Amino acid sequence: MRDPALLPLAWRLAQRELRSGLRGFGVFLACLFLGVFAIAAIGSFSAAAHRGLLADARALLGGDLEIELHQRELIPEQRRSLGTRGEISEVVELRTMARVADGDRRALVELKAVDDAYPLYGALESLPPAGVAALDRVENGAFGALVEATLLQRLGVEVGATLEVGAARLRIVGVLTREPDRTLGAFSLGPRLLIGPAGLAATGLIQPGSLVNYAYRLRLPAGTDAAKVKTELQDSFPAAGWRVRTWEEAAPRVRRFLDRMTLNLTLVGLCALLVGGLGVAGAVRGYLDGKVVNIATMKCLGASGRTIFTGYLLQVLMLAALGAGFGVAAGATFPAVAVWLAGDRLPIPVQLGIYPLPLATAALFGLLISLVFSLQALGSARRIPPALLFRGYSGEERPAAGNGVRAAIVATATCLALLAVFSSSDKRLALWFIVGAVACFALFRGLALLVIAAARRSRRPRHPGLRLALANIHRPGSPAGSAIFSLGLGLTALVIVALVQANLTRLVTETVPAEAPAFFVLDLQPAQVAPFEALVAGLPGVTRHDLFPTLRGRIVAIAGTPVEQAAIAPGVQWAVHGDRYLSYSGVLPPGTELTAGSWWPADYSGPPLLSLTADLAKGFGVKVGDTLTVNVLGRNITATIASLRNVDWSTLQLNFALLFSPGVLEAAPHSSIATVYVPPAGEEAVFRAVTDRFPNVSMIGVREVLANVEGTLERIAVAFRAMAAVALLCGFLVLGGAVSADQHRRLRDAVIFKVCGATRGDLLIAFGAEFLLLGLAAGAIAALVGSLAAWAIVAGPMSAPFKLAPLTLLLTLVAGLSLTLFLGLAGTWRALGQRPAPWLREE
Amino acid sequence: MTAPILEISNLHLSLVGGGGRVNILRGIDLTVTAGETLSIAGPSGAGKTTLLMALAGLERPSSGLVWVAGLDLAGLDEDGLARFRRRQIGIVFQSFHLVATMTALENAALPLEFAGADDARERAAEALNSVGLGDRLAHFPGQLSGGEQQRVALARAFVAQPALLLADEPTGNLDRATGERVMDLLFSLQAEYGTTLLLVTHDEVLAGRCGRRLLMTDGRLSEPGAP
Repeated sequence: MRDPALLPLAWRLAQRELRSGLRGFGVFLACLFLGVFAIAAIGSFSAAAHRGLLADARALLGGDLEIELHQRELIPEQRRSLGTRGEISEVVELRTMARVADGDRRALVELKAVDDAYPLYGALESLPPAGVAALDRVENGAFGALVEATLLQRLGVEVGATLEVGAARLRIVGVLTREPDRTLGAFSLGPRLLIGPAGLAATGLIQPGSLVNYAYRLRLPAGTDAAKVKTELQDSFPAAGWRVRTWEEAAPRVRRFLDRMTLNLTLVGLCALLVGGLGVAGAVRGYLDGKVVNIATMKCLGASGRTIFTGYLLQVLMLAALGAGFGVAAGATFPAVAVWLAGDRLPIPVQLGIYPLPLATAALFGLLISLVFSLQALGSARRIPPALLFRGYSGEERPAAGNGVRAAIVATATCLALLAVFSSSDKRLALWFIVGAVACFALFRGLALLVIAAARRSRRPRHPGLRLALANIHRPGSPAGSAIFSLGLGLTALVIVALVQANLTRLVTETVPAEAPAFFVLDLQPAQVAPFEALVAGLPGVTRHDLFPTLRGRIVAIAGTPVEQAAIAPGVQWAVHGDRYLSYSGVLPPGTELTAGSWWPADYSGPPLLSLTADLAKGFGVKVGDTLTVNVLGRNITATIASLRNVDWSTLQLNFALLFSPGVLEAAPHSSIATVYVPPAGEEAVFRAVTDRFPNVSMIGVREVLANVEGTLERIAVAFRAMAAVALLCGFLVLGGAVSADQHRRLRDAVIFKVCGATRGDLLIAFGAEFLLLGLAAGAIAALVGSLAAWAIVAGPMSAPFKLAPLTLLLTLVAGLSLTLFLGLAGTWRALGQRPAPWLREE
Repeated sequence: MTAPILEISNLHLSLVGGGGRVNILRGIDLTVTAGETLSIAGPSGAGKTTLLMALAGLERPSSGLVWVAGLDLAGLDEDGLARFRRRQIGIVFQSFHLVATMTALENAALPLEFAGADDARERAAEALNSVGLGDRLAHFPGQLSGGEQQRVALARAFVAQPALLLADEPTGNLDRATGERVMDLLFSLQAEYGTTLLLVTHDEVLAGRCGRRLLMTDGRLSEPGAP
């Protein structure tokens, strides 16, 4: 007789076993659902946002192609070349102060002047509707202007009011409701003020060296390849020093931010799924423990180990597909739910749809996690000896899984790691995450064993309830291991997120203002420098002011290699993305620490030299003696690095990543930037005095900016906290599963305790103390490991001083502890109320 | 005359099951003096185990009175009954009912621990010594034979020196030889401590070792041969 085919037989076995329903698989399904949902939701939202950005890319960029210049306009030849290729729209942007014409209020605004062709793509919307034609219309000597609603609130005016900007009077003709080329407004320093070219000219703000951005957008004829036009323009004007972007490269900062958030949130989601894996393992082990007699019977009747293994593996895979399927389905709907909930408050365009790649990735994560965490129990079931039918089975003598299954576990775990790495936009970070996750698993397993051993060896308390609690922690089959392992991991994730956020918030709200300036003053013209210094020096309360000449330039080559080809560390990529503020100085700025090289003499007049911050030098891979080429106002300047400096940016003191030697930049038109130090009580007076005297300058209130940054941090932290909460929820599910699996034993124990004279109070103390001790152990471990990890993140990649936030830590732990106690007691409540007689009668 | 340790008067107990209300105990009267040994025999379902549970305060009678060691059980709430059990009652079950995840010593110490005795472990170790398990203190029930498990249960039942020991088919899960050894131990402990023993058994020989033999039939208790 031939052996029957394995798969059909195993399939029949799986179907029959699943006839009894999904009882016992609640935690399995819930853990998988949550973990897969988290990853699928993040992936789907990210994909929808990327697609949305791409769909709106022309509107976001303002054209098929954009040329951006700082502090200067296109030269006629360049403009002519551009004009031959398509329709041009010119946009000028700068920051300045706006004040109410017949009042005293004033505010920093992001001024934008647009021509008649604006917008080339998308639509400008306002209330009441007013096109760009209304902007250059003069009524009562005032040009038209559209403003963001927040400006009306700040200035306490309505539509129709007149504002003064520089020398111009502007009449508010409507409130901007849609500005097609603006994203993520959270990072702007003030509300938008939109005017026309004539209004801009009337302000008189455009002076040589003014911090002005010029953008020239092109609408190309249909079918024209924007990338090709970009190449042609760059080839035609190689030294133009402009930044050219095609619509496919629109909103690069938003994309980078989105990618970073997606990556980090996915890793936290993966952490939740890993914690959930423990729930999967517990559920499969518990289920197979209940099937021991069935398995032994089937083996007695001739079933092979392979048939048993395959049959139950198919069940696990079916259940995993079910849990992951629901997770994927819920994750796929997340972008729609987010759009529905947030509506217009979503700062980026989101294109709803089904995005198969992130969903498939999430499902694959779920299936691999199910396999990694269930193979051990399946391997053990495969080796159950049929003889146990005759000699009994105590559950503590599970057969070992065998080498084949162990190899399969390693192979599946490797696949999981590879999937994590290859689906990530930052392979290095993903690798570190895997190393961290493996270390965490080893650490928490070790710590769980340590707590159990400590409970076994600790002195026995006098109170019988406490003694029972301790005994319950170290006895065989105790949920202590699961509790400490899963809860500990979940709480650790929450502690890390809470502490990192607390440190960043503290950095913004506490550390910085103590030593930070009150104002940054931009756009001081050369002739205004002396009067400005004289004015602020005489204002009451001003303790200090710093002033540097400044202009903008873009790093184009590092040690002779164009930045596009240079190897630049990810941490300093920002320095080559766009223009940087540059300055020059004969003397070493106060509070600056040189780490290499030497400062030039104050009267230096030789070839261009440069002092670079040490972090940039390290990221660029350059040292003293190498060169850096910077394009300033269209001219490439190659300077030799003479020294490296350490700069503590967190103090907000005026400083520059690139400081040139004297004799290099003085001739270029430029303005000055200043900081003013004044206590909060004197801020208003300084603000008024400076803006009254110098209407063209922009005054940025540090306090206001920090409040904006704090708000942004808070919004980002919400997403991370939500992810960490999913990990913690998985931890609770695992604990719930462990307590639930232990329910029958607890009922039995409770009855015997009652027979032996235990009151309900004794049992409550015993069970309560057990979960309190477990919660404390998990909490203490999470506090320790979470604090260490948060320290590593804050002091490492974020290079910020770390400080424990005791209240945050305490609140996180108390919440974790209370939930553990609640969950544990909820799981044992039945045991407390169990009447002994019916149970004894049944037994 | 010795004071009665147990007085039952017109005890009725009915339970509601799937098929409706069932009258299990139908008017039991019994008086037992301290140190007596009694056996209760009778067919399955006659109410023997239910009677033991009512005497231990594990079941609430529907009516009637139960006095044990001068206490009216009807006047005690659930926790009061628990305190009563830990001081006055020892119980031995047919299926041992040891806590599987506690060692022999921990199992035997339970009643004393609940009573807050400081020397619970020492006394439990003595009790286990007295049943011949001095070398099995750290063993879990799963590591002990059936006879050994029942001896741990005996040690647990006697450890607090209760006034009344209730034994429900204590040899039912043991082979004859082991059962006899366990019963020898039970009677010797009973004699040593002067404990009153109420033994439910089908075993005629075992019943014969008790001073009084009772018969439970259809929820009623009779004492064949009594005057």
